[in-house]
Amino acid sequence: MAQEVVETTQQFVMNSTFWTATIIFLLAYIIIVSEKIHKTIVALVGASLMIVLKILQQREAFHLEEFGVDWNVIFLLISMMIIVNLMRPTGFFEYIAIKSAKLGRGEPMRIMVIFAVVTAVLSATLDNVTTVLLLAPVTLLIADALEVDAIPFLIAEALASNIGGTATLIGDPPNIMIASKARLDFMDFIYNLTPAIIVIMVVFLFVLKLIFGKKLHVKPELKQRVMEMNEREAIKDPLMLKKSLFVLGIVVIGFVLHGKFNYEPATVALFGAGLLLLLSGTKEPHHVLAEVEWPTIFFFIGLFILVGGVVKVGLIKWMSLEMLDLTQGNLLATSMIVMWFSAIASSIVDNIPYVATMNSLIIDMAKQLWPQETGLALLQHTDLLPIWWSLALGACLGGNGTAIGASANVIVVGMAERAGKKISFIRFLAYGTPIMILTVFISMIYVWLRYYVLKI
Amino acid sequence: MKAKDIMEPITSYLSPDNTLKETVNRMRVTSRGENKVGVKGLLVLDEEKNLVGIVSIKDILKAIIPSYMSLMELGDFTWDGMLEEMAKKVADKKVSEIMTREVISVPDDAPLMECANLMVSKNLQRIPVVNNEKKIVGIIYVRDLYYAIVKALLDKEN
Repeated sequence: MAQEVVETTQQFVMNSTFWTATIIFLLAYIIIVSEKIHKTIVALVGASLMIVLKILQQREAFHLEEFGVDWNVIFLLISMMIIVNLMRPTGFFEYIAIKSAKLGRGEPMRIMVIFAVVTAVLSATLDNVTTVLLLAPVTLLIADALEVDAIPFLIAEALASNIGGTATLIGDPPNIMIASKARLDFMDFIYNLTPAIIVIMVVFLFVLKLIFGKKLHVKPELKQRVMEMNEREAIKDPLMLKKSLFVLGIVVIGFVLHGKFNYEPATVALFGAGLLLLLSGTKEPHHVLAEVEWPTIFFFIGLFILVGGVVKVGLIKWMSLEMLDLTQGNLLATSMIVMWFSAIASSIVDNIPYVATMNSLIIDMAKQLWPQETGLALLQHTDLLPIWWSLALGACLGGNGTAIGASANVIVVGMAERAGKKISFIRFLAYGTPIMILTVFISMIYVWLRYYVLKI
Repeated sequence: MKAKDIMEPITSYLSPDNTLKETVNRMRVTSRGENKVGVKGLLVLDEEKNLVGIVSIKDILKAIIPSYMSLMELGDFTWDGMLEEMAKKVADKKVSEIMTREVISVPDDAPLMECANLMVSKNLQRIPVVNNEKKIVGIIYVRDLYYAIVKALLDKEN
């Protein structure tokens, strides 16, 4: 784990290279936010310009984590996507969803709470988009069966997925990126973020009950429809399901132990993906591999290089100096600013480019604060850790703020619309923003209490 | 023989603004051939009588199946009465939302083999026939082609 961080001692000067890189970076981000051109294309063009215009050497972009692609993130994402793609046809996710609905005995409020918990737990293990893609169709079906409005359920799931995803290293891309950059392991996230998320989840469920508890009532004969569904019929391939759960078990154990045995999370996931491909007995891996979300993967690749360019010319260092200026080196203030700023930024723009930038900014800031430290001692400086956790909590939970704050929200809104149930931007906002503010507020108290008062 | 020799006249059609309910009723009362009533598909023409789509029974089935059903394997978890419920829910859907937009048509001087080949390769039941100005002049049903084959085979024997 303790790979040395490459020293960046070069002082930055605001010369033409600096401005070229800054302009490419800003233009790319503006176009990405405007959504006029697909974000992956923008990121790749911007990344290639960084190399073509000699801001980065190709070697730096492709082989140095500091200035280029973080392959740990890329392979972790690809591998987890392969595992899910292999699991999907087994019917496992349909089984879980139908089983959950029956566990709720056809009571809409119980079903909403159970679905929210299942969404959160699945999102902590798989990525959020996958989770809502797998649960939302069943939610729409159950809502039709019970003749209730599906929209509260869908919004609750999107929110739960962003909350649950925050809990673990693999739950949400910002965490994967932070973990890789700060060399934090799976258990670090479990110790530091999961407790906060459990508290937040309990409060969230309570709020759900408060808002919807009174409104949702269903005739007994409609409940019967749900109770008569046989979840066992969902299982299409029991043998493959067993193999999948076996491999998923190994992967989870691998994640828990990866820090201890000095493996990167990507190694664990890659091993799982390879093993499950082997066990699946497929002779044609083509379609499984084709279903990997390559646009997302290439978006990451492009972003890493884009950010690498502005890290190299010193833009990020300049930003970090500005931030230190703002907080006067007060670390509690820095944590809080990072958390709230991240939350607000992530509720408006994609949190992936945001975190890619913030990661570098925080490291540059750490270098100013503790110039004598290097490597792990710098990245995981006791006083820096709360800032990483603040970034993770802010960036992940901020996604709940608006309908476009997180991919899971976008997916849910899109799916609802296709089913003829339009969720307006304002309607999502009405639930999302208060929940975002509430959850970030709880996180704020948590970080303050745990790291600055109790210091545990 | 060419398409125009076997085509049937257009006796009824839909406009894009018709509702699903109006559509099924129109299909129910539209005459088929000389003395039968009820068709399994209708053309959709705009105000200038341009062909903009086609609606078949299959399109109507697709329209009443909820979109989420195709996202996952949920066929096992449906209930008695769901089909009827869903049909009522989408009764006011517009033809423009449910029609097949890419309509394959043939010119009126197309050889019958071209029509037959299209029916089989594109899995069609009916092909609209258009003139030089791209206006609809008739429609060929799969049965019309079949009758042409019957005629060719049995006439020779006679």
